[in-house]
Amino acid sequence: MHEFSISSEIVRTVLDTVEKNNGKKVLSIQLEIGELTLFNIEQVTFLIHELFKGSVAEDAEVKIKTIKARIHCKACGYKGGIRSEREDPFKHFALQTCPQCNSFQNKVEKGRECILKRIQVVR
Amino acid sequence: MKIIKSKGPEIFDIELEKALLAKNRSLAKANKKRFDRSKILAIDIMGSIGSGKTTLIKAILKKLGIGKKVAVIAGDLTTSIDAERIEVEGAHVVQVNTGKECHLDANLIHQAIDRLKLDGVKLLFIENVGNLICPGEFPLGAHKRLVVTSVTEGPYMIVKHPYIFREADVIVLNKIDLAKAMKVNPSQLQKDAKKINPNAPFIRINALSGIGIPKVINALGLKT
Ligand SMILES: Nc1nc2c(ncn2[C@@H]2O[C@H](COP(=O)(O)OP(=O)(O)O)[C@@H](O)[C@H]2O)c(=O)[nH]1
Ligand SMILES: [Mg+2]
Ligand SMILES: [Zn+2]
Repeated sequence: MHEFSISSEIVRTVLDTVEKNNGKKVLSIQLEIGELTLFNIEQVTFLIHELFKGSVAEDAEVKIKTIKARIHCKACGYKGGIRSEREDPFKHFALQTCPQCNSFQNKVEKGRECILKRIQVVR
Repeated sequence: MKIIKSKGPEIFDIELEKALLAKNRSLAKANKKRFDRSKILAIDIMGSIGSGKTTLIKAILKKLGIGKKVAVIAGDLTTSIDAERIEVEGAHVVQVNTGKECHLDANLIHQAIDRLKLDGVKLLFIENVGNLICPGEFPLGAHKRLVVTSVTEGPYMIVKHPYIFREADVIVLNKIDLAKAMKVNPSQLQKDAKKINPNAPFIRINALSGIGIPKVINALGLKT
């Protein structure tokens, strides 16, 4: 949903970092995005490429790795991964239920992050 | 940040490990500290377009009747209509236009605080941009988050958008005067809300006539 703001922030961070490090050309950027964020990965990729146009990162490859979710259920104590979207209709809204007891009351330990891991540049 | 020489002669890896969403969260924490220092209670009002956020803020202000001690940050894509509607109640209002963004973020609130005259202000309402998805991901630093939904949004609003309802401290069902006409059963919506968020009070109101407003004031811990 807020793909535009996150893509702009990624692009701004990449271009700032590259400039500070005297990069001439960006070869690739690597991102890690949690499966519980509401980002549409294809749209993020598309927007980053669009926003890179006309810059030193114009031809950069955008690599995105998805981070699997991990929850801690407050109701039954379950710790671990979640069900697939087909088995859990709510996962789509980042509102995963516990695979063991179906409770909504859980703490997300992993899966909400959005990390810019590394940038590969030519200097 | 680490820079590592990579494959070719002039190729380098810049290791960043930069958490992007964390920035909003740390800014939100800073906002909250600022509110605490000034002894201001900040309340984030979320909900769909037309659910009755502005009407609810107006109704609470009318009931509280403490005019200038209240400030409102009115988020809107481009207009200042809501800010003007709220100003009539005597509160100090700052308009924040988000342009093409679909939510307020902690940085916009940080800037808005700078524009607000907070002297003597005890209570701050933040009207979020009408949207049931994004604001849940972008905390602003408010002490309490209230979500307004209304019977005119149909019977499936809560099951379809559970995320924001789980994030809320108080859930308000507005326009109960129209429930019959809309063929919506408020008890079913209450059940849906309780399933997702058993701890948040669920309050039925008519923001136009004032029904239920004292309960909302109470649930937010405000004194009349
Ligand atoms: N019938 C009825 N209409 C309401 C009620 N609360 C708000 N409205 C109307 O709903 C419309 C949208 O309200 P507004 O507060 O602007 O919604 P916002 O977009 O969430 O700020 C306005 O025409 C209000 O007069 C209510 O309890 N009952
Ligand atoms: Mg409004
Ligand atoms: Zn469980």
